Amino acid sequence: MKMPAAKDRIIIIGGGIQGCATAYFLATRGQNVTLLEKDHIARHASGVNAGGVRRLGRDPVEIPLSLAAMDIWQSLQDHIGDHVDAFHRCFYLKVALDEAGQALGVDRIAALQKVGFHHEVWLEDAEIRHRLPHLSCPTYGGILVEGDGWAFPWRIVQGFASAAVRHGACLVEDCRVVSLEQDGGGWQVRTTKGLFEAAQVVNCAGAWAAGLANLAGEPAFPLSPYAPMLAVTDRRPGILPAVMGVLGHTLSLKQLHTGQFVIGGGVRAPADLETGRGEVEIPALAASMNLAATLFADIASAPIIRCWSGIEGYMPDNLPVIGRGEQLGLVHGFGFSAHGFQLGPAVGEALADLVMGQQPRISLTPFSPNRFATA
Amino acid sequence: MSVKSHYDLVIIGAGPTGLAAAIEASQHDFSTLVLDDQPAPGGQVYRHITQNRDQRQANSYLGADYWLGADLADEFLQVSAELLSESRVWQITRDRQVFFSRQGAAQKVQAGAVLIATGAMERPMPIPGWTLPGVMSVGAAQTMLKTGGSGAEEAVFVGSGPLFYLTIWQYLQAGFAVKAVVDTAPARMRLRQYLLALPALLQPGLLLKGLRWRAVIRRKTDYHVAATSVAITGDQSATGVTFQTADGQRQTIAAAHVFIHQGVVPNVNLTMATDLAHRWHSRQLCWTPRTDMYGQTSVEGIFVAGDGMGISGAAAAALSGRLAARRIVANAKGSPLFMAPIWRVLKWRQAAIRPFLDHLFRPPDEWRVPQDAETIVCRCEALTKADVVAAVALGVSGPNQLKGYCRAGMGRCQGRMCALTIQKIIHDHNGGTEEAVGYLRVRPPIRPLTVGELAALAHEDASG
Repeated sequence: MKMPAAKDRIIIIGGGIQGCATAYFLATRGQNVTLLEKDHIARHASGVNAGGVRRLGRDPVEIPLSLAAMDIWQSLQDHIGDHVDAFHRCFYLKVALDEAGQALGVDRIAALQKVGFHHEVWLEDAEIRHRLPHLSCPTYGGILVEGDGWAFPWRIVQGFASAAVRHGACLVEDCRVVSLEQDGGGWQVRTTKGLFEAAQVVNCAGAWAAGLANLAGEPAFPLSPYAPMLAVTDRRPGILPAVMGVLGHTLSLKQLHTGQFVIGGGVRAPADLETGRGEVEIPALAASMNLAATLFADIASAPIIRCWSGIEGYMPDNLPVIGRGEQLGLVHGFGFSAHGFQLGPAVGEALADLVMGQQPRISLTPFSPNRFATA
Repeated sequence: MSVKSHYDLVIIGAGPTGLAAAIEASQHDFSTLVLDDQPAPGGQVYRHITQNRDQRQANSYLGADYWLGADLADEFLQVSAELLSESRVWQITRDRQVFFSRQGAAQKVQAGAVLIATGAMERPMPIPGWTLPGVMSVGAAQTMLKTGGSGAEEAVFVGSGPLFYLTIWQYLQAGFAVKAVVDTAPARMRLRQYLLALPALLQPGLLLKGLRWRAVIRRKTDYHVAATSVAITGDQSATGVTFQTADGQRQTIAAAHVFIHQGVVPNVNLTMATDLAHRWHSRQLCWTPRTDMYGQTSVEGIFVAGDGMGISGAAAAALSGRLAARRIVANAKGSPLFMAPIWRVLKWRQAAIRPFLDHLFRPPDEWRVPQDAETIVCRCEALTKADVVAAVALGVSGPNQLKGYCRAGMGRCQGRMCALTIQKIIHDHNGGTEEAVGYLRVRPPIRPLTVGELAALAHEDASG
């Protein structure tokens, strides 16, 4: 493909939630946007993650971004139209199953309130059992966030991609970037589908982002690829109207509107960036299954119909990289370490601000690209 | 029986391939474990053989080929190989850990080598009404016959293929009245097909047997050849079969039981889920794992043999199992493979009729994709051909991307009943090769595994 030279073009690399949301916000502001995706939209972690839309349990430095993202999720229809039906709001509950878990939760809420965050609240066992009458075990209380929920991730990403196209963005799939070169204040982006010229480049390439940064001549990023795993069961009667976790454990448990349970959280398999293949190691999910069946005995008899994984990039501090690169005209947004789906809309807005030289409404200091740079 | 934590060879499937391979490996003092779904050895073709052979007289309708399985099973029961029945293997890792569920708990065993001998499965036949109660696959009908001699009176058989005629013949021998046979094999072959079929003359016995079955079926049933546009009628359950006869007449036959069949294809669920390399077999219209002549797949130490590497029938499957076992033993012990070339010739000889059968019963497109837009394609998610076509038209390059646009292949069966149909629909729309369209990505667990069974693995790890 031969693209005409365009001095003002912004190229976004990566068709996941971050890339598509960025393309959308830039396009709505009338920018000339082209998004390059090496496979197809939402092929990896963005399309096949657990779909948790949660503010609960965030690292405190990430909370402002998460709250800003929730504002956008709450008006999602204005942005992605009909795709909004893929978002299900309910409540998110992270229960304690022992005293250690209870202490973790109580301390967390106290710490959050001290710095002015009140969206996480403590629920006593009686209230939890009132909300979840099918719960099979007593709890030691738990943390609640009202209005968190879950979404079909692929649909949401596709929603942002379609909305971006409606506002004039250009999407190029099956297009892998092979080189990135500075060229008189702009960029020459060589791909498997030809040469693209751009004024600015946004790196939203997920697990592949460190490789792209390297192509662009950036310092090395300590980004590790893994494939977080999930399992889905056959359909069962509805017993769980919330998304659930357990304090001190990495479980994530929800019941879709189809009646299927999705069980996962924190268990990673190896990923191969070369082949784009995420492994599935079902036995590693055994502890999560055990916990799910402890919470709801009925789940024990549900057949698991599929386990899968999606490739994601992890940073050593589990915080994303969002900010300007060292090279002129390069902006990074990657390394979400398996909790970037909910943040996506706010990250897209912030990256659009950076590209346009505006001050993002959320401070991005904690996510600085050079925080790991050796002095 | 207590299962050891390590075996030199773990075989998945106790059909002719698995049994023959286990016998061969045992003779070389290889510690061998056979894991199988069913309560007794035999696989699909020799199902229930160890029970049925005690009443061979009463069960004579199953035919001489079936009783060959009795000798194989007897020989297997004499050797040192262990059989763990009712074990559902749901994942093999590339480092040859084999995970399975048995009696409500998940277990694992480490294998020096793995032989996948999971045989064949029936090709889907999505025609109008195929999901109605009262409609079953011919394979399922045969299973009923083998396990307790039960069957349905006055059934109509629709389809073609060796198993199709064999099962009808067995039904008739067992004394069931067959109401009609609607044969969907195309009217005639082309010259090229006859030429390709020449090696079949090496197996005149099989050819004669086929002709004999057809003669019996023709004599004893209401037999219709070269039927097209077949549909099963009925609202709540099947009430009849309607089709176009060879001379263009529309005909309807009332029936409460309809058995359908369109041939068998390799059961690739385990090989696909293990992410072994596969290729599209354009003559048999199915996927097969890429292997060398011994069945070594793209992952070292994981072998596949029998119908799972391409349909060639029970006799060739047993030889292919022996061949794979012999290679595995030779790899481990560095011993020579004197007999292997002879077996390869024998195996080819046993499968010489295959190209002929493949051409004779090659399903025309009409039987691979419904002609009628309202026919169900994905039965778990109740999606019609029109639903799938509409999603494909949005710009889908393959079955995996399709899942984002509609839930085809995402239900309980995970595409086992529809993946080949979906692939063909996408191919019809997009063009190119079927190999490039690709198959639905198969992920473990490939056999039912409950949350509770998997949770048991957590307890085992905690205690062990």
